[in-house]
Order: sequence, then structure tokens, then C-alpha cells
Amino acid sequence: MARTTPTHTPALKYILACLVSMALLFSDVNYQTLSPLRGSVQAVGIYSQLFFATTVSRFLEFTSAYENQRTLTRLNNQLRDELQEIDSKLFLQKQSQLITKDMIDLQDRLQILGDQRDGKVLKIASFGLQDYLCCSQHILHLQNPLQFAILMHQPVAVDKTFIGQTSKTHLNLIEVTLFSDSSHILPVKIDGLHCNARGAGKPRLVRCLASEEFKMSDIQEGSLVLTSGLGGVFPKDVIIGKVLSIYEISNNELRIDIALDGNPLDHNYFGILSGS
Amino acid sequence: MKFTSHLFIFGTIFSGFWLDSLIAEFNIRTYIAALESLPYLVETSLGFLILCYWIYAIPEKIQSSAAFCYGLLVDLCFGSAIGFNMLFFSGISYVIHVYVFRFRIFSYLQLIIFFAGSSMFYVACKYLIFSPENYSYLLLLCSFLINGLLWLPIYFCMRSLRRSFL
Repeated sequence: MARTTPTHTPALKYILACLVSMALLFSDVNYQTLSPLRGSVQAVGIYSQLFFATTVSRFLEFTSAYENQRTLTRLNNQLRDELQEIDSKLFLQKQSQLITKDMIDLQDRLQILGDQRDGKVLKIASFGLQDYLCCSQHILHLQNPLQFAILMHQPVAVDKTFIGQTSKTHLNLIEVTLFSDSSHILPVKIDGLHCNARGAGKPRLVRCLASEEFKMSDIQEGSLVLTSGLGGVFPKDVIIGKVLSIYEISNNELRIDIALDGNPLDHNYFGILSGS
Repeated sequence: MKFTSHLFIFGTIFSGFWLDSLIAEFNIRTYIAALESLPYLVETSLGFLILCYWIYAIPEKIQSSAAFCYGLLVDLCFGSAIGFNMLFFSGISYVIHVYVFRFRIFSYLQLIIFFAGSSMFYVACKYLIFSPENYSYLLLLCSFLINGLLWLPIYFCMRSLRRSFL
């Protein structure tokens, strides 16, 4: 079915349109009368194209820059992670070397300290810090994962001196009673004076009671305190500290405070001399 | 007819002329690069054929004023001498309006011959007015054949667009 009814097409409007067109065409082709208008429209078109091209170019540059920035950021993060990993590895390697060095040093010192005795280096498991700082019980625990046969009452050393002796074993842990424990008694020698130094219940401090045979002038503050070896636990003549102060308790009794050299807080590895 | 419909129709005509300019640019590049010794033969009239389709399809909606305005806009947009496309758009619009119902009973081949001939006439006038030294009958013959081949794709493509959007 036809969509429209056939109607008459008036020619006048078309003739008029054609005449106007011809006139415009004639004037434009021969006299360039409309060239400014045409030029302006062309200029607008060219400017539009340039603007579009510039906009697209800038957008592409922006996206490219953004992409580059993202890539750089990702690379930066990756490099930072790698650097952190390298730093961590180096740190661990250095620490491992330090620990190994400490252990070797300690082993060497144990050999010197222990004479004929066998030395075992063990790592600390726990330290009763609260009790150590306030109270009379000064105990630390050492790990014994290889289950060395460690007997009770074996000397425990750090650095170049002793700090205590083994007292108990619990599973794979070895309990060490420090010199400063109030229940510990250590036979010592100070400038010819032999006495039993009892733990003061304070960090790195032991006390010795001297009988009336000695006078205050016989002992100087700062004198070296050595193990006497009389208890049968520690080898003799190992420096364990210095005389800190001397008090006269009564007419016939002196109290000598001894500052211990060995500080258990400074070390993670401890050596035990086992066997005799 | 709504303004948006006119805008849509002009958009298709504009696209046709834009494609014509792209093809011409491509042809010139190819001609310069590879076929320098051969005459320049390819001249498409996609925009003109698209306008012919719209007048043929909806003659009651595209009157002389619409054809006149489309021609003016195409002249302005594509830098032709003002009046050239106005003249031919108005002229072909009148011819199609007069014979539109006769065209409806034409076969595709007859339509191809008529519209290819119209576009050949358009190309011939263009060359005669603006570039008479390059005018050649071989070019017109090639143009006739190419535009004849292009008519059916344009016809079906524009018909689908008309059914979808108008």
C-alpha cells in the first residue's frame, strides 16, 4: 500500500531554488563573492579538527602518562620490596654471623675457663626479669634442644666470667641459679680473704661476711674478687667481680658488697661447663 | 517533519560526502604513489546517492526547501562553491518528486541505471565547472559503473536506517 497519496509537485519553488543556486554559483565561481563565508566555515572546520586532534592528543598523552606513572609506581613498589627483602636478608645474615662469632668466642672462653672440662653453648629460653629486678629469686632458663647431658651444679659462664650454676632440668630446659639469687652461696677469694658470697637478691650483687680476723684496711674497694674453687663447682681463680663497698656491721664482723662482672641481661647465649 | 529527523537525514548525507572525500584522498594517494601513468578514474558520489535515496523514500517530507538547505550546508561544510550542491540537490529533488511514483514500480536495475546516470551527470557538471582540464568520458563511465554498484548497498543500508530511526 502506498504510504502517500500522489500529489501535484509545484515547479515554481524548485525553479526559484535553482535560480537562486545558479546565481550564487555564478557569483561565487566568477567573482568569489562568497569566498569569505566559505573560508570562514572552512577555518572553523579546520580549527575544530585541530581542537579535536589536540584534545585527543592530550587525552592520549594523559592516559599514557597515567599508565607510565602506574608502571613506575608498580616498579617502584617492586624495587622497594626487593630492597627491603635484601636489607632483611643482609640483616639476618649479619646477625647470624654475629651470633656465630659470639658462640665461637664463648666456646673459646669456656675452654679457657673450664680447663679440662667440656663446654656447651646454649641459648636462653626465658629470664625472670621481674624477679631479677625486685626480688630474691634470680633464675633463668636455657634451651637444650639437643638434650645434652647436663648435670646439676655445673658452672654457667658468659663473656669471661661465671654468672651462676645449673640447678634443675625441666624437659629440655635447664634452670640456672644466678650468683645474685639470695639462696646461692659462692666461695670467693678477695686479697687472701676467703668467704662465702651469698646472693643479695639484687642484680649483679653478692655479699660476703668477713670474720673479725680481718680489718677494713685489709681490703680495698675495687679489689678483684675471684672464685676460690672451694665449693667444688667452679674452677679457682676466675674473676667474677670487684669489691663495691665494705661495711662494718659490728665490732667483729664486716660486710663486703661485691659487684659482679657478668651481666645476664647482655647475653643470649650461655656456656655450661659440664663434667669434672 | 521534526528537526531531529532533518538532522538525522543531513547526518547521513554529510557522512556520504565525508566518505567521498576520504575515498578521493585515498585515490589520490594511491594514484600518486603507484598509478601515476594511469588516468584518474574513481569518482564516487555517495553523498549525492544518499540524498537521492531520501527524496525517493520520503518525498513528502523532503521538499525543495529542505534540499536547498542541505545543499547549502554541504557547500559550506565541504568547501565547494556556494550554490553547486544547492542547484543539483534542488534539481534532482524536483525530478524525483515528479517521477517518484513511477520509480516505485521500477526494478532495481532501472533504479540503478537512473541514479547512476544522475550521479554521472553530477560528476560531469562538477568537472566541467571546477576542473574542465581533467574532464574525461572514461572517468564518467567509471563513475557510472561505480555509482551503479554503490546504489543497492546504499539503498538497503538507508532503508534499514529509515525503518529504525524515522
